[in-house]
Amino acid sequence: MSVRLNASIPDGVAVLPAPQNLSVQSTNMKHLLTWSPVIVPGEIIYYFVEYQGEYESLYMSHIWIPSSWCSPTEGPACDITDDITATVPYNLRVRATLGSQTSAWSTLQHPFNRNSTILTPPVMEVTKDGFHLVIKLEDLGPQFEFLVAYWRREPDAKEHVKVVRSRGIPVHLETMEPGAAYCVKVRTFVKAIGRHSPFSQAECVKVQGEALPLALALFAFFGFTLMLVVMPLSVWKMGRLLRYSCCPVVVLPDTLKITNSPQKLISCRKEEVEACATAVLSSEEPFRSWI
Amino acid sequence: MKAQRVSLWLVAAMVFLWSVRARGLRRCLISMDIHPVEETFQEIKKTIQAKDTFQNVTILSTSETLHSIKPSDVCCMTKNLLAFYVDRVFKDHQELNPQILRKISSIANSFLYMHKALQRCQAQRQCHCREAATNATRIIHDNYDQLEVRSAAIKSLGELDVLLAWIDKNHQGTLVA
Repeated sequence: MSVRLNASIPDGVAVLPAPQNLSVQSTNMKHLLTWSPVIVPGEIIYYFVEYQGEYESLYMSHIWIPSSWCSPTEGPACDITDDITATVPYNLRVRATLGSQTSAWSTLQHPFNRNSTILTPPVMEVTKDGFHLVIKLEDLGPQFEFLVAYWRREPDAKEHVKVVRSRGIPVHLETMEPGAAYCVKVRTFVKAIGRHSPFSQAECVKVQGEALPLALALFAFFGFTLMLVVMPLSVWKMGRLLRYSCCPVVVLPDTLKITNSPQKLISCRKEEVEACATAVLSSEEPFRSWI
Repeated sequence: MKAQRVSLWLVAAMVFLWSVRARGLRRCLISMDIHPVEETFQEIKKTIQAKDTFQNVTILSTSETLHSIKPSDVCCMTKNLLAFYVDRVFKDHQELNPQILRKISSIANSFLYMHKALQRCQAQRQCHCREAATNATRIIHDNYDQLEVRSAAIKSLGELDVLLAWIDKNHQGTLVA
């Protein structure tokens, strides 16, 4: 419900109405003050928000402190998280301004204490990195720590609890055993107010067993068999290549081979020159007669 | 001989029970976090300490007071110191700068919360005040009264780092008697 300024008051100055229906919504230590907007057609209304902790209300009740982010603001909402810094009741008030016009202060009916914040189950991401169980948690700010509970999904399994203070960084929980399923759930704890959130829903992951799938086994078998055949062949071939490279077998041409043919290899020593020559002539004669 | 032995045992048992109670084995366990308060103070420490014109004087007198406190007196001394700041120091300091005012308000309200928690412990007889803590508290109040009130207040505000370090060291984040 918004408040409209009735500009048609005949006598006197139009009064800017005070904002109504102040309330605070608080979830996971984020506090939002809201109110019904003051409507003046064609004009932008600015709002000033002030707060007063229990200390001020007890010892110096005249002191109101301007909100960090909402003095002024266009509203009709104000994030007062940075103003509410202690776990005590806080009074809050808002007024509207339009130029030189200022409304009366409108005060929150019941003081707000941050220990009434609604804590929700945190968001988590459970993953497997090989055999490692890894969890990633949402970043809720420095006031939050996480209590992570994890267990093997089997009867009478022991539940482990790990306190995690790091935010947004993957955290290793456990090295999983093959074939086993593991479950994880998490809740937050806020030390400043001494409260826990509810647990998140448990998420479970399973690691593959040691028995290889059939296809993989068959592939491994054939590969091994092939290797048993190919390896000796390769070794033999390499051996032959090496032998040929360093100690090649020289094959004599046929003309140099000693056989029973008429053209014999003659050992031409000095004393046998004539015999050599005779032998040569005798072999040439048929050649000459032929010419 | 037998009667002597029995009475000796009885006396020993009584002494043991008395020392156990004196040591406050029924502990005042409060979970609270002093670090946000320390961080808040660090933001205004230089500004506050620069306004302290009596550098040669100390109000907390750590050597006479804080360093002489035994573990069994820590709860009471903490409660007394928080009350000193809440009832006197923050009230006597007039801060005009809105940024500084916000930080002092944060610290004051945090101290109020801690003080109320320790008062509950005292009501449940888990935060007993003995002579040592009472005497040390009186020294601090006397030191404060010797200065002009505004100067005393700004000096005490400047010494908050000493107080917070002492609370942190003695309570390790959890107030224990």
